[in-house]
Amino acid sequence: MSTYLVKRLTYMIIILFAASLLIFCLYAFTPGDFISGNMKLSPERKEELRQIYGLNKPVLERYAIWMKNAFHGDFGYSLAQQKPILQLFNEYIWNSFLLAIVSTFFTWLISVIIGVIAAYKQYSWFDSLIMVVIFAAMSIPSFFIGLLLIKGFAVDLKWLPPGGMTTTGSNATGFAYMKEVIQHMTLPVVVMTLLSLGSLTRYFRSNMIDVIKQDYIRTARAKGLKERKVLFTHALRNALLPAITLVGFELPALFGGSLIIEKIFNWPGIGQLYMSSFSSRDYPLLMGFTMFIAILTVIGTLLSDLLYKLADPRVKL
Amino acid sequence: MRKSAILLTSLILAGSLLLSACSSDNAGNAANTGSSNVSSNTSAPNSAVDADQPIAASDMSKLPALAQKRTDTIIVGLTNPSGAFTPYFQQSGYDGNVSSLLYSRLVTQDDKGLAVPELAESWDISDDQLTYTFHLRKDLKFNDGSPMTADDVAFTWTLLYDKAYDGDSIIPTIGIKGGQDYKEGKATSIEGIKVIDPLTVSVTLEKPIATAPIVLGGEVLSKAYYGKDYKFGDLEYIKKLHENPLGNGPYKLEKFIPGQEVRMVANEYFYLGKPKTEHFIYKTSEGDTWQYLETGEVDYGSFTATQDNLKKLKDMGYLNIVPYTPSVYGYLGVNLEHEAYKDKNVRQALAYGLDRQGIYVDANQGAGQVANIPTAPISWSYTEDGINPYAYDPEKAKQILDDAGWTVGSDGIREKDGKKLTLHFLGSKSPATDIFIAVATENFKEIGIDFQPEVFADFNALVAKYESGDYDLVSFSTPILSDPSDGVQQFINGEIKGYDNPKVKELYYEALSTSDTEQRKQYYAEMYKILNDELPVIFTSYRKSYYAYNGRLDGVINNPFAGFQDVNNWTLK
Repeated sequence: MSTYLVKRLTYMIIILFAASLLIFCLYAFTPGDFISGNMKLSPERKEELRQIYGLNKPVLERYAIWMKNAFHGDFGYSLAQQKPILQLFNEYIWNSFLLAIVSTFFTWLISVIIGVIAAYKQYSWFDSLIMVVIFAAMSIPSFFIGLLLIKGFAVDLKWLPPGGMTTTGSNATGFAYMKEVIQHMTLPVVVMTLLSLGSLTRYFRSNMIDVIKQDYIRTARAKGLKERKVLFTHALRNALLPAITLVGFELPALFGGSLIIEKIFNWPGIGQLYMSSFSSRDYPLLMGFTMFIAILTVIGTLLSDLLYKLADPRVKL
Repeated sequence: MRKSAILLTSLILAGSLLLSACSSDNAGNAANTGSSNVSSNTSAPNSAVDADQPIAASDMSKLPALAQKRTDTIIVGLTNPSGAFTPYFQQSGYDGNVSSLLYSRLVTQDDKGLAVPELAESWDISDDQLTYTFHLRKDLKFNDGSPMTADDVAFTWTLLYDKAYDGDSIIPTIGIKGGQDYKEGKATSIEGIKVIDPLTVSVTLEKPIATAPIVLGGEVLSKAYYGKDYKFGDLEYIKKLHENPLGNGPYKLEKFIPGQEVRMVANEYFYLGKPKTEHFIYKTSEGDTWQYLETGEVDYGSFTATQDNLKKLKDMGYLNIVPYTPSVYGYLGVNLEHEAYKDKNVRQALAYGLDRQGIYVDANQGAGQVANIPTAPISWSYTEDGINPYAYDPEKAKQILDDAGWTVGSDGIREKDGKKLTLHFLGSKSPATDIFIAVATENFKEIGIDFQPEVFADFNALVAKYESGDYDLVSFSTPILSDPSDGVQQFINGEIKGYDNPKVKELYYEALSTSDTEQRKQYYAEMYKILNDELPVIFTSYRKSYYAYNGRLDGVINNPFAGFQDVNNWTLK
């Protein structure tokens, strides 16, 4: 086990190095840079600024400088936002994380329940209805559902706020603050859950169907066990096994933010920040954030492999 | 039997879905080609009548409860300020909106763009037009009560000449005497800046520049606060001060919640007295603020002046609607280094052959006006005397091209010396570009030009391609022009490769060398006639928009040059 871990960690470090070099070069070679988009500057001033920022040095030298600073924990200042990268992350990532974790929780909960019931009652009217609804939810674009819900619940019925994370100008703290955030969070979480339900439900449903057909389920029933025990203790535990690999991949998604949802609901998350930094070529922010997601992805895959070994004793690493 | 019936039904359903998809595609295409024909027929009769006058709120009872309950807070929507609130050090225009309320300027502009006093109650210009002396008002204080004096003004100007200054202020380029020496480290202070007494400061320039009062009369940074840790060549410490601004504007910063709100509270030390409304909040709203305005979460929004928007705003009933033309102009840059477009006649043919009225006004529901000179209609330098409006005339365009030696080939495209007349266009992805491409393709085809549009979703990539020279026509719009000289700078500073008219350069420097506005007007009028004739770029349009605000708000002014004005007098009835 320990040799496996050591091997994996070594691979991880090599992958991260290669990834960082590739990402840095990709961003550096994209046409245009931070200065070129500003129409107010004269060509001489642009050259001066490029010198101040070090943008006129060769790519590998810039990469080496960035890497050296990164090892010291200094990820630089965002060019557009004029503040340290880590501070910027701290301000925005937790908001995205909040949305992501709540909607992931509800997605998994609802899709397990629906998947199990649909598999159990395969081909019944419940199963077919669920499949139609699932496909519909997957096909409708997120901005459409989002705007529709805003129009319905916020503008017409005025039950929920149309956007933002807190009520403007409020000084609420503690419990009142939590209530406000929950109120503002409802619509974005509903939209995010609706969109991700589809694939996960189908996954659980097909896994359950395969497991239910197994012989050991017949044996369990023949033994006289209650149906509930058969389904949830024996069948579901086996059906969930492959799904554990998915947990690891959720990790980068939890911190990655969701561009469209955040834009529509004016949620102060990292997704819209990332997109705007790409179009303005804010290199420190781009590199910092992309590397962060890369690290999370690599850790996430390691996590899924370890979890799988934990859950299924048959697996040998 | 049942199985085959089900199979048959599902096949029929699938087939009809496919067919309906096909037909709707055709309908879509027909609509697109139809609209480009329709645009030339529709005029905009009613829009001219209501569009130019402010419209008062018709029915205040429709005001949403949320907006009615507020008694001492004004809320305005703003697309994501980043938190860098120190003027001169901002990269985002939205931060500028915030800092214009947190800091006051020495000199501001009226609604025509002429300089009017703010913190400086007057200024004198020496006879040789090189020295400007600003007289500050008495008893000016920053929002923590500390006094503001001429030392702070001198400090602000000196700071901007530091060699590590990376912002986009034009003060470092205006040429203060001794500024270059300071920047290179040869001097420890700037020779041309003199503090005469605590209320008087003078600055000497190397050449006369008429825009000096406005450019040098910007926001003032407190020396005690922003200069405490200042060492030449090191401006990193300022970044830490961004979120704790010390200014002297009508409001001071109470709290900044990144991505959500900028909360400000009235500044009791404001030189005109404490503002009438205690709280002012900028609420982050990416893109349009319709839903916030409809639910009463914000009190102010600005929108393009289309008929649809006007109707929607009027229907809400509780909004005052004011028409507004920003001080910008749109233009098509032409690549003057390509053989075909070196010829002024060809460029004029392009202007005659393009239906700009159709594209920028009619297809835009009246939210625009055709432009023929490099200045906006609200500016004091705007004139239409002697200016060729280049009204859409394809026959004239064809005539000009024939005379220039471009004869129509067998495929309908003109050629000369074996080369075809192609027009490679770069545009950024937007509904306006789509309209432009739809109409321009037909217009240019009619006069025999092969139009090849290329659309970029990413503005930076477009600029990179433009800088590499691989284009014939590119669509741009200027940033906000605070003085007519800003609008013509691109014609004299070498930005337009291949255009060099000594007469235009001469007029430019003459217009800057005198402070007499009437005389400057004449210089610009002459310059505009030349530019309008030579067309180094093809001027396209001016934007028209509305700003709409809660009918309870009194005293709202939005100046196209200076932004929100008179904010200390805005009240909620």
